[in-house]
Amino acid sequence: MIKKSLSVLLMVMMLITIVGCTKDDSTSGKSSDGDSKDKVTFTYFNAASPGKDLNTNETKIGKIFEDQTGVNFKTEYLVGDINTKIGTMIASGKYPDVLVPDIAIDKILDAGAFIDLTELIEEHAPNIKKLYGPHWEQMKDKDGKINFIPFAAKQGFIKDPNITQGAFWIQRGVLKEAGYPKIKTLDEYLALIEDYQKKHPEMNGASTIGFTALTYDWRFFALSNVPNHLAGYPNDGEVIVDMKTHKTDVYADNDVTKRYFKELNELNSKGLFDKEAFVANYDEYLAKIASGRVLGFFDYGWQVQQSLDNLKVAGNDDLRYMPLPITFDGQKDQYIDPPAFINNRGVGITVSAKDPVRIIKYFDNMVKEENQKLMFWGIKDETYSVDDKGKFYQTEEQFAKTSDEKYRDESGLNTFEYYWPMGDMLYSDGNAWVPGKQPEVAQVSYTDGDKAILKAYDAEVFSDLFADPDDRPWYPTWSAVIEQGSDAQIFGQRKTDLTKEFFPKLVLAKPGDFDKVWDQYIEEFNKLDAKALEDLMDKVVKDRIKAAEAK
Amino acid sequence: MEIGTRASEEAINPSVSVSKKRNKTFFTKLKSQKVLLAMSLPFLIWLFIFKYIPLWGWSIAFQDFKPARSIMDQEWIGMEHFKFLFTDENFWRVLRNTIGMSSINLVLGFVTAIGLALLINEIRHLRFKKSIQTISYMPHFISWVVAASIVSYSLSLENGIINIVLVNLGIVDEPILWLGKEKWFWVINGLAEVWKNVGWNTIIYLAAITMIDPEQYEAADIDGASRLQRIRHITLPSLKPTIIILIIMNLGYVLESGFEAQYLLGNPMNLSYSENLDIYVLKYGMAMGNFSIATAAGIFKTVVSFIFLFSANHIAKKFDQPRLF
Repeated sequence: MIKKSLSVLLMVMMLITIVGCTKDDSTSGKSSDGDSKDKVTFTYFNAASPGKDLNTNETKIGKIFEDQTGVNFKTEYLVGDINTKIGTMIASGKYPDVLVPDIAIDKILDAGAFIDLTELIEEHAPNIKKLYGPHWEQMKDKDGKINFIPFAAKQGFIKDPNITQGAFWIQRGVLKEAGYPKIKTLDEYLALIEDYQKKHPEMNGASTIGFTALTYDWRFFALSNVPNHLAGYPNDGEVIVDMKTHKTDVYADNDVTKRYFKELNELNSKGLFDKEAFVANYDEYLAKIASGRVLGFFDYGWQVQQSLDNLKVAGNDDLRYMPLPITFDGQKDQYIDPPAFINNRGVGITVSAKDPVRIIKYFDNMVKEENQKLMFWGIKDETYSVDDKGKFYQTEEQFAKTSDEKYRDESGLNTFEYYWPMGDMLYSDGNAWVPGKQPEVAQVSYTDGDKAILKAYDAEVFSDLFADPDDRPWYPTWSAVIEQGSDAQIFGQRKTDLTKEFFPKLVLAKPGDFDKVWDQYIEEFNKLDAKALEDLMDKVVKDRIKAAEAK
Repeated sequence: MEIGTRASEEAINPSVSVSKKRNKTFFTKLKSQKVLLAMSLPFLIWLFIFKYIPLWGWSIAFQDFKPARSIMDQEWIGMEHFKFLFTDENFWRVLRNTIGMSSINLVLGFVTAIGLALLINEIRHLRFKKSIQTISYMPHFISWVVAASIVSYSLSLENGIINIVLVNLGIVDEPILWLGKEKWFWVINGLAEVWKNVGWNTIIYLAAITMIDPEQYEAADIDGASRLQRIRHITLPSLKPTIIILIIMNLGYVLESGFEAQYLLGNPMNLSYSENLDIYVLKYGMAMGNFSIATAAGIFKTVVSFIFLFSANHIAKKFDQPRLF
């Protein structure tokens, strides 16, 4: 405690020296009432992403903000190593006025470089208070202070129109031939593939692959997570969290896992499972998907995006894939991530800031809905239009314009893209906070084939087929901090090793031997300390529920 | 200066003790070789700085090491980390794989390198000889990332050259998923290692062969020795010292079975045979930020290498063979 106050004292002394040295170039004192609209320039440093160093008032959007508040920011982005840069700041005690420290945030907090924002927000920033209200408790540090403003305060919920998360993917040709059946269960899905492969054993001279899986290196979870999804749970890493008791359970040894691998085992005995699935590396896997020989697979959208894009460019819609929310028995799926508030990244005002009140007022002004729309959607009728029902949409030209880097730089769409106080999901008028989540915008990039298949399924965007996520305040448990070298972490590694060894055996065993291999696997599994991880996760879930209830 | 006076003093007085005599020769030698000594001094300093001072880091193995904490704040936990290693089934499995693979690499490496060196040496056509040498070196300069892709592609089910050849020759009925056969992994790894490094490894033997006195071959020629007889009775015996020294040195590396090949060719199906000590250290040490485990494994490796090196040297000494020291 003494040490801490000593270092704070030191910090203050250094600050005084620095302020003393640089006094002449700062016109406004610390005790500004904040109401003045005098032109003033602050510094903003973003360590989270590369970008263009500029004055925000040189951009269209930044100019509007300057007219409203008189504040201009001189932005600077990280070049080189983040730890070196932040380390230098801490060592010198000289910070930009506003800082986005990204992964180095713990260092900044340890150094006490951010000022407490609680009072500033209470006094000067009613809009921030309103926007972040639901997350207020989650924003507080252990000592009750709010040291920085996290990004993306969730308002309501809207699904990403496209599937970037987990799904069972199926070749569109398969669906087309079967007359676009509505399928929900794993059995239906596999039966479709089986029929199709019987009729088309070869494609472009190579044998058709019924079902494949990604198993390479750390991406192995694309195989081991599947039972959890089939049982109707979101990607909570290694555990299933019970909705009622909130107890966590490592499911690698559960019936759901046994059931899934039994299915794969049968698939393999019928010759439908990709023989090379367990030896192919990531590139070989992507090449295989892009070749159009594979009828179905499970994966997370972001992992196969390249292949899906290549197929889209190639232009044969029958060879492209459709994501489906398959579950064991057709129970409600939870493939789409529940909204999660990320409270360990954000933007803060540093101890070097000359006039925190002006800054917080600027932030408060920018989180007003009309200004947020400016930041994310751009300028009305230039980068988006509004239909007679008040829905925002983009024409193809507008879509192209907002994808053009040069325009994005000049307008400020890049500068204000993310790393400022901001909301997410839905505006009060029902439009999506960011254009990417607005169905009307997603549709602009859809091909005729996309539109046709969506019509066949009575959907507007791909995520329409998927269920809305239930409320899970603990989601995602995989983001929990696990202490390095702890029992829980060692269990995680050993479990991965064990499943990597046994899952191929389970799939490739003769159907008669399956139960024998499973018993062997369980015997080995029981030697591991699953409780270490479950106990930790129980605590994480409990804490997160508590934080969510406190709001 | 003092040494100099003593030496001259002793030179005048011939009745000196044995130890003094030894001293004298030592110091005169030292003096006469002072230029050489001065030249080797930088290397001694280098050795000390880079090979001895880091040994201090071994202390990490006996701590519950946390980075960015001073040595005084570290928690000392004795042999805990060694206990973790030696009680972990996986550790013994990866140790088996490591020794298995490095033995195969050692034997295959020596046999093929010596064999190829002898063959290259016998080639008369100079340009042909040079091109053979260049071609056989080539894979050595490819990084393992690329080499592993070549290997895995050649072994693949549908387009792999190995399967195509085997099937067309009627040796196997249908293509084999080579990288999925866990028990074959050691062999595949050994052969890949040979393909990659055999040319490179011949260099030292080829150099040794050029040192052999050509008169011996001429004499053998006159005595009517055939080519094979010359190889057996002249080339191989002349290579013996080189071979033995290299074997002793390589035995010291018995726990270094390589890392990249196993890491890149390893997959869930051959995991139980492909994982070696280095991969284990990476997973349980580095990836978890558990530097103590990594250090403990490193100490273990050093001790084993030490034992191997000294035993091999000792055996060589016993049988009156050339040796390291």
